Amino acid sequence: MTAQTTPERRPDHLTLALPKGRIMDDAIALLSQAGLPLTRPEASRALRHEFPGVTVLELRNQDVPVYVDLGVADAGIVGKDVLLEAGRPVYEPVDLHFAECRLSLIREIGASGPIARVGTKYPRAARAYLQERGIPAEVVKLSGNIELAALTGLADAVIDLVQTGSTLRANHLEEVDVLFHSSARLIVNRTALKLRRERLRPLIARLRELTAPAGEES
Amino acid sequence: MRRVSVSDPLPFSAPLAAGGEALSTSALPAGVRDVLPAEWERREHLRSHLSALLRSWGYRGVDLPALELADPAHPQGNHAFKLIDSGGQVLALRSEYTTALGRLVGTHFPSGPFPLRLQYGGRLWLRTQTSELGRLREFNQVGAELIGVTGVQADAELLALAHAALGQAGVQAQLEVGFPGFVDAALTDAGLPGPVRAALHDAIDRKSGADLDLLARQHGVSPEVTRTLHSLTELYGGPEVLTEARVLARGVRAEQAVEHLSAVHAAAQEAGVELLFDLGVSRRYGYYTGLTFRAYVDGINQPVLGGGRYALPGGLPGAGFAIGLERLAAVMPAGVPSEPETVLALDFAAATAARAAGLGAELAWTGDEAELRHYAQARGLRRWVQGAELRDVTPADLKIATEVNA
Repeated sequence: MTAQTTPERRPDHLTLALPKGRIMDDAIALLSQAGLPLTRPEASRALRHEFPGVTVLELRNQDVPVYVDLGVADAGIVGKDVLLEAGRPVYEPVDLHFAECRLSLIREIGASGPIARVGTKYPRAARAYLQERGIPAEVVKLSGNIELAALTGLADAVIDLVQTGSTLRANHLEEVDVLFHSSARLIVNRTALKLRRERLRPLIARLRELTAPAGEES
Repeated sequence: MRRVSVSDPLPFSAPLAAGGEALSTSALPAGVRDVLPAEWERREHLRSHLSALLRSWGYRGVDLPALELADPAHPQGNHAFKLIDSGGQVLALRSEYTTALGRLVGTHFPSGPFPLRLQYGGRLWLRTQTSELGRLREFNQVGAELIGVTGVQADAELLALAHAALGQAGVQAQLEVGFPGFVDAALTDAGLPGPVRAALHDAIDRKSGADLDLLARQHGVSPEVTRTLHSLTELYGGPEVLTEARVLARGVRAEQAVEHLSAVHAAAQEAGVELLFDLGVSRRYGYYTGLTFRAYVDGINQPVLGGGRYALPGGLPGAGFAIGLERLAAVMPAGVPSEPETVLALDFAAATAARAAGLGAELAWTGDEAELRHYAQARGLRRWVQGAELRDVTPADLKIATEVNA
């Protein structure tokens, strides 16, 4: 096979890609509010959950854009930070306004030397930012506890997610700049939006109503 | 006697690749692959039927070189494989057909006769494709271009031809029409300056309402215009989209686009072609000047066909489409094509007679019956024939196995 084909699925069946963990709970609560017959899966080792007319795939969040872009899932929910880093050409019709955070440039409090090396889990976003600012720094891709890179001198600065800022304060770090604000997004496969629009269009509309910030017309 | 010095490579070391790793003789570069007989059969069946269909609509074939002069202005220039010619000139492997066909037309048919209907088929290479399923770096296309004419009938002809081509492959496809100029007209009519437009185009193409709001805030776009931009991301679906678009269209360009699409829709309906529309489709290829279209098939993540209207250098109008052969072959129903039976011929006379009777014939290379039986079973050849009268001499045990299978 040269192309990504999926086993036969009825056009009225939906396959959703959701990231495991807390986003999954919030996502399932929101999707069932929007009318999908989903319940929180009981704690089990199952990675694929079947509901009437809907299949939910439980994935690592970085994999959600991949499953949706390749059409194995019709739609998914994932943070904008992960989506930007994935660079996948999926539709992203709804900002779900949860899992809010920001991607920031972080340094040790008082650090003022030039930035020659940046540690991050987001090399793509980091490179784009540094290039835009004309900072000729090298980017080191790391996998976790990014703050340590700044504290140990592995890097002169780090680019990482900030939710409340309390971890930063506890580690004598400060936000120097904000690259962008992130929140959970509904993403949709380009073919699925067209061929399964009878199911996806109403879902998109309902999710927009449910997540529109108070005081804003929908 | 040769003295072995310490610097000599060890006699048992594997051949080394440039990086120092052992070079595997079975290795291929990422994104290319071998095609084996079963798939080759389906693909070539598809290719020959598509090309016959295009010819029956008046599209004559041309062949284009796979080697081109590298051109920074080429729409896929950044994505093409580059080679260095003996004189130091940079060459590019063909990465897209329309540009090459435009060159051919300019050289050989500068004054027509128009309309000029041409078809082509062959391989393309893209350096930057991620080598994922469905996005090979070496792939095949068959395509058709209608050059020198413009207007509703020309656009409708291409949509009907695309529909016929997909129907012939036995594929249930859905054609969708877009009009990138509609988004552009809407942005221009809203009075937005160039650099902002590029970012907005991208957000609209991703149907990202959140990014639209962010850009609108950053660039001080009025709430009214922002609402219009949001509406653009919603303009997809059946023909009802055109009614909604008519309400949104303020300027002359946008109105003309909607009028044109409505006329194309009416003409396509006459030809029995149902269309979807997406007026939020936005400049994925910069060279399209009018309508664009693509075909979706359930179960495959990439369009199996794509095309649109463009202007060749010098202003000559053209429109056309290309079919991704690998993608279409992957969604073709099983059982197509039905191969003629191949028999094992024990002599030349039998082989000639079998071929004359429309069968495939493979010649026996030995008289050793056990060896032949072994081969025939592995290859699935059920009939053995001998002499010009095609006497069946299939060994009894093979015959029984065949009957049980049947």
